[in-house]
Amino acid sequence: MYKKTSTAAAVAATTCLFLIVGGCSATSTGKPEADKPEAAKAAPKAKAVDYAAMSPKALAEYLIFESGSYELDQPTQEGTNGRARLTQDDIQKTCSLMKGENLSDKTREKVSALAAASIKYPEDGIKLGDWKKGRELAWSGFGYRTAHNPDDHAKRATGGNCYNCHQLATDRTGGNIGPSLTGYGKIRGNSPATLKYTYEVIYNPHTYFACTNMPRMGATGVLSQQQIADIMAYLLDPASPVNK
Amino acid sequence: MFKKTLRALPIALAVSATAGLSMAEAPEDVLDKLIKKTNSPYLTQSPQNIMIMPDNPAWLVADEGAILFRTPRGPKNASLEKCDFGKGPGVLEGAHVELPRYFADTGKVMDLDSRLVHCMKTLQGFTDNDPAIKKKHGSDSDIMKLQTYIASKSGGMSWNPPMNHPMEKAMRNAGEVMFYRRSGTMDFSCSTCHTQDGKRIRASVLPNINRPDEWTKAISWPAYRTSHDHVRSSQHRVLECLWQMRYPDIRNGSDASIALISFWTDAARGAPAILPDLKR
Repeated sequence: MYKKTSTAAAVAATTCLFLIVGGCSATSTGKPEADKPEAAKAAPKAKAVDYAAMSPKALAEYLIFESGSYELDQPTQEGTNGRARLTQDDIQKTCSLMKGENLSDKTREKVSALAAASIKYPEDGIKLGDWKKGRELAWSGFGYRTAHNPDDHAKRATGGNCYNCHQLATDRTGGNIGPSLTGYGKIRGNSPATLKYTYEVIYNPHTYFACTNMPRMGATGVLSQQQIADIMAYLLDPASPVNK
Repeated sequence: MFKKTLRALPIALAVSATAGLSMAEAPEDVLDKLIKKTNSPYLTQSPQNIMIMPDNPAWLVADEGAILFRTPRGPKNASLEKCDFGKGPGVLEGAHVELPRYFADTGKVMDLDSRLVHCMKTLQGFTDNDPAIKKKHGSDSDIMKLQTYIASKSGGMSWNPPMNHPMEKAMRNAGEVMFYRRSGTMDFSCSTCHTQDGKRIRASVLPNINRPDEWTKAISWPAYRTSHDHVRSSQHRVLECLWQMRYPDIRNGSDASIALISFWTDAARGAPAILPDLKR
């Protein structure tokens, strides 16, 4: 009796295994996720592959793009989708340094060159905008968040996120992931060279600081040239609270 | 006589189960020791929160979870007392500090959230569309009540997720890659904010994954969040971080979420869990 039961259990387990494998091959027909019922979407296709046999990098890519873990079709404010947000460009790939990994000089040069090539300058030259507008842009962290609570850009202007990581004027509390920029213009003046450098750092900071944590606000299109000019005024205008 | 004994048995069991919670250490005491040991600005950033920890509203949520756990429910009219969280059916003491872990019955690495859902389906017969399972967030959800109760049985115990099974290692290692992987509108990875000491986003001090005695507080979920007025889970923390990072939604209980949680739990190995915690 006991033996029979365990045989039956083994048969059941084997059948189940076949069902799982069968279920998996059925999901890899290239059908878009949206066509599937909710339950099928949630069911991982993972059983078809052996996680333990994959390299950590290969498994990470699999989990992100193939395992049904992310809402890859979720729309974004820029008209792309979740998949695009998770897909790495050259700089992101090169700069995903693991603990203890360092940037070689050659890679540093490559990243800086890529960054410099991405910069587009204003046709009428780099000028300072309105520091008051720049102050609000520097403070606002609104924009480009999607997921369960997407930022509606039609209802509210997007910001530059500067205060999240930098201390600027001392009337508001800034973060310290980036260096303090209090007195930025007072220290540097506003020569054409300083204007150009500041514009380039905001547009694509990897030009000077390869693999920096700072976002590429101009290169990614988060900030327009006019918005960069306004933030530059906040940093460099002698009348700005940053320089008081 | 015999009948009387039978009737008394469940009562005796219930009493001993309640008395059993003495093994877990009060979260405020665990935190106090960590603060004395490290003086970490992340741990000390909110004196108000430290002050109200003994009155953490999460305890009320845990109490409701304790009742739910023992109550026969669902189409199968069963309680969760036979649910195996990795240390044997019904064993909750120290179970949460050893999650995520590999479960042979599902062939998957599971975290507290997904293992709980698994038991609610298999033992109680709930389905994905039942409110008991569908509602994943908020102090009023069954999932959060149960998670808070189960996790509270691991207070003060050291994080010790098993790494013996190849799947456990694979998920932890993939989670590590994901932690350092930059993408999205702002090029953020988890490591942008969580690999240095004393860093802040505006006024909020960030936890450093390289400091287990600090990191343990960051990963001690469920925790009551004062700014949300709700108890939140590890899965909810993943969700909120990824939203700020400009990533798309990650699905609750998905393998990617569990890989991240595996890595971040491993990083706190050896440090005592603060459960339930209270955070900003």
